[in-house]
Amino acid sequence: MSSITLTNITKYYGDVQVIQTFSEVFSDKEFITLLGPSGCGKTTMLRMIAGFERPTTGEIKIDDKIVSGLDVFVPPNLRNIGMVFQSYAVWPHMNVFNNVAYPLKIQKVAKSEITTRVENILEAVHLSPYISRMPNELSGGQQQRVALARALVSNPRVLLLDEPLSNLDAKLRETMRYEIKDIQKKFGITVVYVTHDQTEAIEMSDRVIVFNRGIVQQVDTPLNIYSHPANEFVADFIGKVSFVHGRASDGYIALDDGQKISCNGRKTGDVIAAVRPESVTVF
Amino acid sequence: MKKILLTLTLLCVFACAPAMAADKPKITIYTSMYEDIIEAMTQTLHEKFPAYDVEFFYGGTGTLQAKIAAERDTKKLGCDMLMVADPSYSLELKELGLLHPYISKEAENIALAYDPEGYWYPVRNLNMILAYNPEKFDKKDLPQSFKDFAADESVRGLISMPNPLTAGTALVALSALKDKYGYEYFDTLAANKPMIESGSVALTKLETGECKIIMILEESVLKKREEEDSELEVIYPTDGAICVPSPIMTITDEWSAHGNSKICEELTDWFLSPEGQSYIVKGWMHSVLKNPPAIPYDSINTADIIKDSMPVNWENCLRDRTDLRTNFEKAVKK
Amino acid sequence: MKSNRSHSYLLPPTSSLNIKAALIVAIAAFLLLFNVWPMSYLIFRSFVGEGGFTLETFKRIYTYPLNWNALRNTLITAGLSMVFGVMIAFPLAWLVGRTDMYGRKFFRTLFVMTYMVPPYVGAMAWLRLLNPRVGTMNVFLAKLFGLSENPFNIYTLGGLIWVLTTFYYPYAFITISRAMEKMDPSLEEASKISGASPLRTVMTVTFPIMLPSIVAAGLLVFVSAASCYGIPSIIGAPGQIDTITTRIIDYVYVGSAEGLNDATALAVSLMIIGNLVLYVSTFICGSRQYVTVSGKSTRPNIVELGKWRVPVTILVTLFALVVVVIPFATVAMTSFTKNLGKPLSSTNFTTRYWNILLTRKGILDTAKNSLIAASAAATFGIIISCVMAWLLTRTKAKGRQIPDFLITLGSGTPSVVIALALIMTMSGRFGINIYNTLTIMIVAYMVKYLLMGMRTVVSAMSQIHPSLEEAALISGAEWQRGFWDVTLPLIAPSVVAGWFLIFMPSFYELTMSTLLYSTDTKTIGYELFTYQTYHSQQTASAIATGILIMVVAVNWLLNKLTKGEFSI
Repeated sequence: MSSITLTNITKYYGDVQVIQTFSEVFSDKEFITLLGPSGCGKTTMLRMIAGFERPTTGEIKIDDKIVSGLDVFVPPNLRNIGMVFQSYAVWPHMNVFNNVAYPLKIQKVAKSEITTRVENILEAVHLSPYISRMPNELSGGQQQRVALARALVSNPRVLLLDEPLSNLDAKLRETMRYEIKDIQKKFGITVVYVTHDQTEAIEMSDRVIVFNRGIVQQVDTPLNIYSHPANEFVADFIGKVSFVHGRASDGYIALDDGQKISCNGRKTGDVIAAVRPESVTVF
Repeated sequence: MKKILLTLTLLCVFACAPAMAADKPKITIYTSMYEDIIEAMTQTLHEKFPAYDVEFFYGGTGTLQAKIAAERDTKKLGCDMLMVADPSYSLELKELGLLHPYISKEAENIALAYDPEGYWYPVRNLNMILAYNPEKFDKKDLPQSFKDFAADESVRGLISMPNPLTAGTALVALSALKDKYGYEYFDTLAANKPMIESGSVALTKLETGECKIIMILEESVLKKREEEDSELEVIYPTDGAICVPSPIMTITDEWSAHGNSKICEELTDWFLSPEGQSYIVKGWMHSVLKNPPAIPYDSINTADIIKDSMPVNWENCLRDRTDLRTNFEKAVKK
Repeated sequence: MKSNRSHSYLLPPTSSLNIKAALIVAIAAFLLLFNVWPMSYLIFRSFVGEGGFTLETFKRIYTYPLNWNALRNTLITAGLSMVFGVMIAFPLAWLVGRTDMYGRKFFRTLFVMTYMVPPYVGAMAWLRLLNPRVGTMNVFLAKLFGLSENPFNIYTLGGLIWVLTTFYYPYAFITISRAMEKMDPSLEEASKISGASPLRTVMTVTFPIMLPSIVAAGLLVFVSAASCYGIPSIIGAPGQIDTITTRIIDYVYVGSAEGLNDATALAVSLMIIGNLVLYVSTFICGSRQYVTVSGKSTRPNIVELGKWRVPVTILVTLFALVVVVIPFATVAMTSFTKNLGKPLSSTNFTTRYWNILLTRKGILDTAKNSLIAASAAATFGIIISCVMAWLLTRTKAKGRQIPDFLITLGSGTPSVVIALALIMTMSGRFGINIYNTLTIMIVAYMVKYLLMGMRTVVSAMSQIHPSLEEAALISGAEWQRGFWDVTLPLIAPSVVAGWFLIFMPSFYELTMSTLLYSTDTKTIGYELFTYQTYHSQQTASAIATGILIMVVAVNWLLNKLTKGEFSI
C-alpha cells in the first residue's frame, strides 16, 4: 500500500517558475510515467518526490505521511525510496556486490541476510555471474541492472526511475522495458518513471503525465492520451500526427477546401484536427 | 565547524610554541660564526656552564640586522647576546641604548680597541684576504693586493667577492678600501666584473677553476684546508689584510629575550679568557688577546697580520654605511 | 549538465543555511585576518613616512634605475619562463596522460617529482653544469661538437630563464594533466572519426578545450617565477642580474626601519603584477567548464602513437635526462665529493657531509620544524580545500566565491610580500603576536599554497557526478555517511595529492621563511640555503638529496600501501 499524493506543488528556481501548480495522486502499485521534452520539469518533479529538491509550495505525501510540506521535510535517506539515475550512479570504487548491498548495510541488516538478499536480487536482474566484478568491467546494460538491483534491494515503497534506458542501445532498451515492467509486477511497487520517449511511456505505464514547460498538459491512460490528446502539444508529442484546420459540426469537420472528414469529437466550431496516420483510410 | 577550526588553530599554537626548556636560565646568542664552530662551541659551553642553556642562532650579519630591526618593533629582541661580524654595528646599538655595559676582568689582555665603558669587546679577529687555487693557477700570475684585484685585467670576470649588503665583513672591507683608494676603487672593481656571492659558492668556484682569485675571509679557506685537505691558499694582500675585530655584546635586560645579563657577563668573561679564545682559534679565527693561545691552522702570526693590516675607521664605517652600499650597487650592478 | 543544479539536499534545508554561512564566514575570516588585512596594511604603510602621508618612499624607490632594471628582468624572466614552461608542459601532459608512450607512469612521477624538490637546489646544480668557464655540461658539449668555446653561460638572463623554466614547468604540468585526465575522451574520438590525424586532433580539439587550464597553468608559472627568490639569488646575483625579489631582500637586509619601508614600497609593484595576472586569469577562465565524469564507468582511452611511439619516448627520455636526472645526479654526487675541483673518485669521496646531515642538531631541528609547519599547513589547508570544494561544487550558498577569490588572491601574491605583511601586522602591534612562532609560518604557507590543494580537490569533486552521492542518500545513508562512503573514497587520491601539493613547497619554503624564522623556528629550507651560500655546498647537497630521497620513499610507500591508487 504505497500511494503518493501531490498537492498544489510549485517549484521556482529564483524567479523562474519551473513547475506550475500541480496536484495528483499516484495510487499503490501504479506505474506512472512523467513524459515530456528536455527541460520540461519532469526530472525536477521526480527529484522533489525523491527529496533532492524541495517544492517551493505544496505538499507531498507518501502513504498519507507528509514527507514535504510547509514545515516538514523528510530528507531522501529517510523516505525509503528506490531510485535509478540516468547515469546509473554505480559507484566505481565498489564491486557489484558492495554496490547492491549498500542500502542494506545502511539499514544494519545482518551479514548473512545481506548476502542472501543481494544474491536474490541479482538473480532477478540476471547479474548473478557478475557479483564480484567492478563497474568498469561491465557493459552499460549491466551497470544499469546493478543500479536497478541496488534500488530494489531494500524493498522500497516507491521506485523512481530517471530516464534509465536513455543510455542503452535500441535492442537492449526493448528488453529492459519488459524486465522493468516484470519486476514492477513481481515486487508490486509504485513506480514513477521519467522519460522523453513516448514509446516507453505508452508501453509501460498505467497512467502518463505529459509535461511541457513546467505545465502539466494531460494526465491519463496511454490509450486516452493517444486517442484523445488534450491539446496540440500532446497530440504532436505522442505518435505521428498531421494537423488540419476546419469547422466541426455533427460528427464532421469541414476543411477549408470543402472536403469533409468524419470524427467523433464533441467540439463544434473552428477547430484544429489531429489526424493519426493509422486512422486514415484510403479508398 | 568554526569552533573546531578555532580549537585546532589554538592547539596548533600551543603545539608549536617553543617547548619551554625546564628551569635552566636561557641565553640566546645571535651570531654570524660558522655552524661547525657553533656546534663545537655549544658542546663546550654545555660542559663549562651546565647550569645554563646557551643557544646560538646563526645568520649573516645583514640578516641578523634585518631581524633585529623587525624585532625592535615588537619591543623585545629574540636574543640576549650578539656576536656579529661588523664592529660598527656595535656603535649603532650602543647609541640606540640596546647594549648592557660590563667591565670584563679580561679586558686588559685584549690587544685591540674595545669600548672603554664596556658596551662591546672584540672577541674574534676576522681577516679579509685574497685566495687562489694553486692546482689551477700560479700564484705569481695573480694579483697580490686588493688594488690589483680590482685593476688587473688578466683576471677580469674571474674574480668573486662577498655581498656587502648581507655580509658585515664585506662592508667593513669596502669602507677600508674606500678610505684608502677613494670611491674610484669601486669603479675599477666594477670594470673587472666581480661576481658577488657568498663564501661557500666562491670557494667552490675557486676549486673548479671558475674563478682565479677571490676576496674572502681567511677562516673559510683555513677551514677548507684543514677539514677537506683542500689545496686552496691564502694570499695576504700586500696592501694589507683587512682586520675585522668582531665584537661580543650583551643586550640590556629590558630588551633581551630572557633578561639574564648577569649570565651574559659570565659568558663574556669566558669568551675573552685564554680558554674561550682557544676555541675561537680552533674555529680558524684569530684571537684578540695580547698573548694569543695559538694561531689558527695553517695561518700566520696574528700580530703580523694586524701589523700590516689596512686601517679601518669605524666611525666612517658606521656613518658611510648607506653611501657605501649605494655607491657599490651603482658601480657594480648595472 | 545536470551538475549545475542546486544540490541543497546534502543538508536538511533548515540548518544548512547556518552551517554553510558559518563555514564561509570562518574561512573568509581566516583569509581576511591573515591575508587581506596584512596586505592592505602593507600598502598603507608604504605611503606613510616620518611625518604622515607621503609619496617620498615611492619616489625614491621608483626613480632608482636599478629597481627599474630589476622590474624589467622580473617581467622578462617570469614571462618567458611562463611561455616555455607551458610549451614544455602541454605536450608532456598530453603524452603522459593520453597516449601509449612507453613508461608513461614513470615519466609522470618523474616530472611531478621536480615539484617536490626545492628550486634553489636545481639552481646549484645548474651552476655547476653550465657555468661559462668550467661547467661540466658546457665542457662536454664543447668537446662533443668541437667548439672553440663553451656554448652556454648560466649567469645571464637566458640562464635564469632556463633554470626557472626547468623548475616551474611542473606547476603547469600538474595543472594541465589534471584537466587532461578530466576531458571526455569522446571529444577527441569525434575528431578522429572525422578523419583528423592525432596531431591535428590535439591542435584543433584538445588544445582549445584545454585552453582555460593552459592559461591558468601559465599564469601560475608566471607568478611563481616572478616571486621566486632562491633561483635569482643564486643564478642572477653573480652576474649582477637583479630581480624584484632579490632587490626586496637587499632592502630588507639593509637592516633598518627605512630599509623595511623601501622593501615594502618595492613589494607593492610585485603585488600589483601578481594581482593583475590573477585578474586576467579569472577573467579568461571565468567560465570554468568542468567536463564531468558520470557514474557510468568507461575505460580510459588512449591515443596510439604508432610509428612515433619509439621516437617520442626517446625524446621525452632525453628531456627527462637533461632536466631532471642530470641536475639531481649532480647534486647527489656533490654531496659525496671532497674537492669539487676534481671529479668524484675513491680518493675524493667522503660521507662526511651525510654524517653532518644525520647528526647535526641544527639540521635535524630545522627539519623537524619544517615537518611540523608543513604538515600543519597541509592538513589545515586540505581541510579548507575539502570544505571549499564542497561549497563550490555542491551548494549554491551565497558568497561561496568570496573565500575562493581570497585564496586565489593569496596565491597570486608574491611570497616576500606575504612575509613582510605578516611581520608588520602579526608582531603584537595590533594585538596578535605570532611572530617568532611556527604559527606565523603555517599561516604564511597556507596563504601562499592553499590554491594548489584547493584546485586539486575541487576538480576531483567536480568530476564526481552528484548522482553518485544522491544514490547513497536514496539508499538511506545520511549525507555525512554518503560523503564518507562514496565521495571521500573517490576523491581520496586527489586529497592525498592535494595534501602533498601544499606540504612539499611548504616543507622546503625559502623566501618567506627567510623573513619569518626565529631562534626556535628555523626551517630546513632556510638552513639548506645558508649551507649552500655560507657554509658548505656539499652539506647543502646532502640535505637536498636527503629531501629528494624522502620524497621518493614516501611516494613509493604510498604506492605500495595503496596498490598504486595513490602516488604523488
